Amino acid sequence: MNEVLQIGSPLPKSAEKPKKTEAIIEFKEAGKSYGHTWALKDATLVINDGEFVSVVGQSGAGKTTLVKLLVCQERPSHGSVFVAGRNLADLKDKELPYYRRKIGVVFQDFKLLPQKTVYENIAFALEVCGVTNVEIKRRADKVIDLVNLGRRIKNYPDELSGGERQRAAIARALIHSPRILIADEPTGNLDPVNTFEIIELLNRINQRGTTILLSTHNRQIVDRINRRVILMKGGKVVSDQQTGKYVI
Amino acid sequence: MENFLRIIKLGYKNFVRNRGLTLGATLLMTQTLMMVSVALIVTLLIRDTVETFRSKIDVAVFFRDDAVTDAKIQDLISRIKTDSNVKSIEFYDKNKALAIFGGLALDESIKKPISQDNNPLPRSVQIKTSNPEQLQAFADNLKTSDTDNIICDSCIHLNKDFVSSFTQVTKSIQQAAIALSIFFGIIAIFNVLNIIQITINARRDEIEIMRYVGASNAFVRGPFIVEGILYGIFSAILTTIFLYFAPMLVTNRPDMQDIFGKFGVNIVSYIPEHLVLLICVQLIIGIVIGASVSIFSVRKFLKA
Repeated sequence: MNEVLQIGSPLPKSAEKPKKTEAIIEFKEAGKSYGHTWALKDATLVINDGEFVSVVGQSGAGKTTLVKLLVCQERPSHGSVFVAGRNLADLKDKELPYYRRKIGVVFQDFKLLPQKTVYENIAFALEVCGVTNVEIKRRADKVIDLVNLGRRIKNYPDELSGGERQRAAIARALIHSPRILIADEPTGNLDPVNTFEIIELLNRINQRGTTILLSTHNRQIVDRINRRVILMKGGKVVSDQQTGKYVI
Repeated sequence: MENFLRIIKLGYKNFVRNRGLTLGATLLMTQTLMMVSVALIVTLLIRDTVETFRSKIDVAVFFRDDAVTDAKIQDLISRIKTDSNVKSIEFYDKNKALAIFGGLALDESIKKPISQDNNPLPRSVQIKTSNPEQLQAFADNLKTSDTDNIICDSCIHLNKDFVSSFTQVTKSIQQAAIALSIFFGIIAIFNVLNIIQITINARRDEIEIMRYVGASNAFVRGPFIVEGILYGIFSAILTTIFLYFAPMLVTNRPDMQDIFGKFGVNIVSYIPEHLVLLICVQLIIGIVIGASVSIFSVRKFLKA
């Protein structure tokens, strides 16, 4: 495990990775309505490859809808969403699994399978894709080492702390070596110590070149990350600061 | 291949892990198979019983005693034999008729006056046709072909009325049994559908996770299909065990043995004789229902 960060201290300078200019995520006037209610309205934003972007806002601001559109859990009612140059509206249902293997997703409630051990949960992401057991072992060992869960691989989720569960979920999300890691309120269920551990882990993953999209309403962590912040309100993008703080 | 084995392993694990739901689904499926099997057995039993009775339908032709020689009778028999509808023909001379009469359970006062020396019993032939429905036409034809007038008047007995009504009754029973089985079978299929939907609903998180990590629809669906097939296989086994032993319990009662015996059916040996057919039908129906209900139930979770 890398150095442990003090809560509240700024992220180390080494975390500042030179940004690539290639757009990896692009929302073009994307909107999503449920009946007459707009969960997301005319969202236009570009996220470049290798960026660490925090999407902030209160509950109902449209953060989760943004994530749902990115993982293709929902389709936009209007506008378009591009990932790595591909319009997600053009994705056929049968192409979705292959698309999802290229993005990692982490959720607030971890979404670990309770009847599987940490190792099995992580390996499961590759098992469902038909990867051989030898390859699964090789890649699982790598991500387990990255999230520092080597001693917990035989434990079941309910035997882990919240932080460990989230690290297991992150390991599972990373096992496909995705270009993008989407974290939807990953620290929502965690205490401050575990919260900062997870943020530090996300930061390290970003240093390796993975684009991070962090959806959160935790002011402390956004301020501490001190990277690009997109503020949402009432389903709209209201501000986009390259190195910002969570300002309401 | 590795992926295929993984799907089977996952399906099997789910089957074993969710014991309560597995038991419920298997028992409901057993009920469905039982309905289908009972309908099948009733159909087979009735078919065989009707066939037995149909084979007993015949026409008995009695010949005049006076001045009719055996040669003339044999001549008529030869002509009858040329009819393609005739399945078998048996001639009873006076001695044979007497022997049969002697074996009848009749009062001695009726039997005694009839002896070898005083034998009024007529000679006869019993004719079985391959198509009992055509018996009346055959008898009419027989009468017209009797140019020598050797058949006594009103001496053609058609042994078919009872059989016809019996056939009609058994056909009605058969249709009712099939209709009831279909009705209860449909109810049972809905029950199976519901319990499998409950099983799948309970695991919607698992499906969601599988989809988030990039599992193809086929991979998500696969273990549920395996589970459905396992319900079908185990239900077929349970149904077969039940059908194998249940008739033994019923027919241990002497009165039941009498009833089945009268119809020329040995119910205890009947099911073992048709066991392979029953197992095949149950397995096919069980697997098809289990797999298709699983596919149907999981489909709503596979939409984007």
